[in-house]
Amino acid sequence: MKDPFLLFWAVLIFASIAWYAFLVFYVGWKAGGEIKTMIAALSGAEPVKPDDPPRRAP
Amino acid sequence: MSLTPIDWIIILIYLGGCMAAGLWMRRYVRGVQDFAVAGREMDVNLGIASLAATELGLVTIMYTAQLGYEKGFAGSMIGVIICASVWLVGRTGFVIAPLRTAGVMTIPELFEKRFSPRVRWLAGLFVVLGGLLNMGIFLRLGGEFLVYATGLPPGWLEWVMTALLGLVLVYTALGGMLSVLVTDFIQFLVMGVGIVVTSVLVINHVGWDNLIAGLQTAWAAGGGAAAATAPAAGEAAKAGTLAAHPFNPFHASSFGWGYLLWQFAFQIAVATTWQTQISRVLAAKDADTAKRMYRRTAFYFVGRFLLPGLWGAAAFVWFAQHGGLPKDLTTLTAMPHYLAIVLPAGVIGLVVAGMLAAEMSTDSGYMLTWATVIYNDLVNPCLKRPLSPKGQLLLTRLLVLGIAVFLLFYGLWYELPGNAWDYLAVTGNIYLASVFTLLVAGLYWPRANAAGAVAALVLGAIGPLVFLFLGKAYKIAPEVAGASSFGLAALGMIAGSLLTAAPAAPSASASART
Repeated sequence: MKDPFLLFWAVLIFASIAWYAFLVFYVGWKAGGEIKTMIAALSGAEPVKPDDPPRRAP
Repeated sequence: MSLTPIDWIIILIYLGGCMAAGLWMRRYVRGVQDFAVAGREMDVNLGIASLAATELGLVTIMYTAQLGYEKGFAGSMIGVIICASVWLVGRTGFVIAPLRTAGVMTIPELFEKRFSPRVRWLAGLFVVLGGLLNMGIFLRLGGEFLVYATGLPPGWLEWVMTALLGLVLVYTALGGMLSVLVTDFIQFLVMGVGIVVTSVLVINHVGWDNLIAGLQTAWAAGGGAAAATAPAAGEAAKAGTLAAHPFNPFHASSFGWGYLLWQFAFQIAVATTWQTQISRVLAAKDADTAKRMYRRTAFYFVGRFLLPGLWGAAAFVWFAQHGGLPKDLTTLTAMPHYLAIVLPAGVIGLVVAGMLAAEMSTDSGYMLTWATVIYNDLVNPCLKRPLSPKGQLLLTRLLVLGIAVFLLFYGLWYELPGNAWDYLAVTGNIYLASVFTLLVAGLYWPRANAAGAVAALVLGAIGPLVFLFLGKAYKIAPEVAGASSFGLAALGMIAGSLLTAAPAAPSASASART
């Protein structure tokens, strides 16, 4: 691997494969917990009643 | 047909799981704010999963593999540039921090606060025009992958993609951003596994040393054309040689310095302006969450180009060593055909599910985003009386349906003027250059005013539109069309603002920054 560009791409390719594999587990685990928190927050929020005044975009 | 019963079972379980999760989230939608920005409850890791899933579609995999097939590893340099741009924006908070703090639902909404309602409407029109034209080829390219990877009859392409879009439409129209976030999460996992497994199998199949030697041999055989245009690179690759340097992206035969510099400016604009990315910023809990989401997603964009690019380069070497590319294949469809050869039964089901995930997450995110802009910035400002919450939701859902219908018909008849990447870059540029100019000037230049904003919007769209309709006939280089739109937009903003009255104090940019 005398070509520096070749070394550059080889490192990036194998780092990308490792990074994607890591992200699937790490982000998968963390984001799963965040979905639960988000659903809990949305469940606790007061629902919009049909007779509430219409709201414009905030 | 390449798929076995076990492959079909994997695909059906995945599709059923996505539908169930998407429909489940419908119950939490209480108004347009929940529908469009998930009640702003999204935290950083869910944001990473959603952003990564949306921005890596099947269309992405197709065009990045095409770049890999025609330009070798050097074709993935754009991914490195995107990584640098996204990280830089995440590190500094440039544009995204004040945008999130402003509390708007879409970018054009900020322009009403900063400039005028007319600028908001006009910007909304450009955002939608560029976004929909950009998205127009997603289905066709995604369908081509599925046809060639699974061995489905080509005549089924339209029907398969219509059915897939129908599934996405149901959960997107009913659950909005909440459904999109949860299905994006599932799709992120399935897609991630599919990409890693495919990359390992491809390297194992073609052999690393053989891949490098094959690319070097093809480059030597191609003779290194002085400057390979996209069609020249494509023709050479079809013939089993490379007209573009496979490893050095700065070489004149590859992208060259000019194109890469344009890409850097373009990708900074994308990271701060592209509405599907910005919608995740606006759904984040706060500006700091948005910045962290960007920094942590940055390296993902390298693999987004490089791993499908690796598959494309491997396909090139394999076909070059096995009698050349068959006549019924192109540089775009070579990769999925190659994967059908490489992947064993069982694994191909997982990979197809992963690719379906990529397609569905992108379609849902894009349909929702453009529908939100149409409702929020084009329709809503024209209403004399605001709609009721139910009316707002119904209208936004109908807009999602309308976009799906547009996608079906536009995707079937439009013929690409160049390669897929150039088409996507140029159509995105219809609004990127001008809206980016408006955002930067609006947030950081107190002298910017509505006249400058209108001039920037109109002038910035000229270059890409000329390329889109006349590019093929007059052989206009994409970087010329793209770079000219940035220059013209900036010129319009500066000249228009300085030649007309200064905006009334106090400037809204100050409030947007607080």
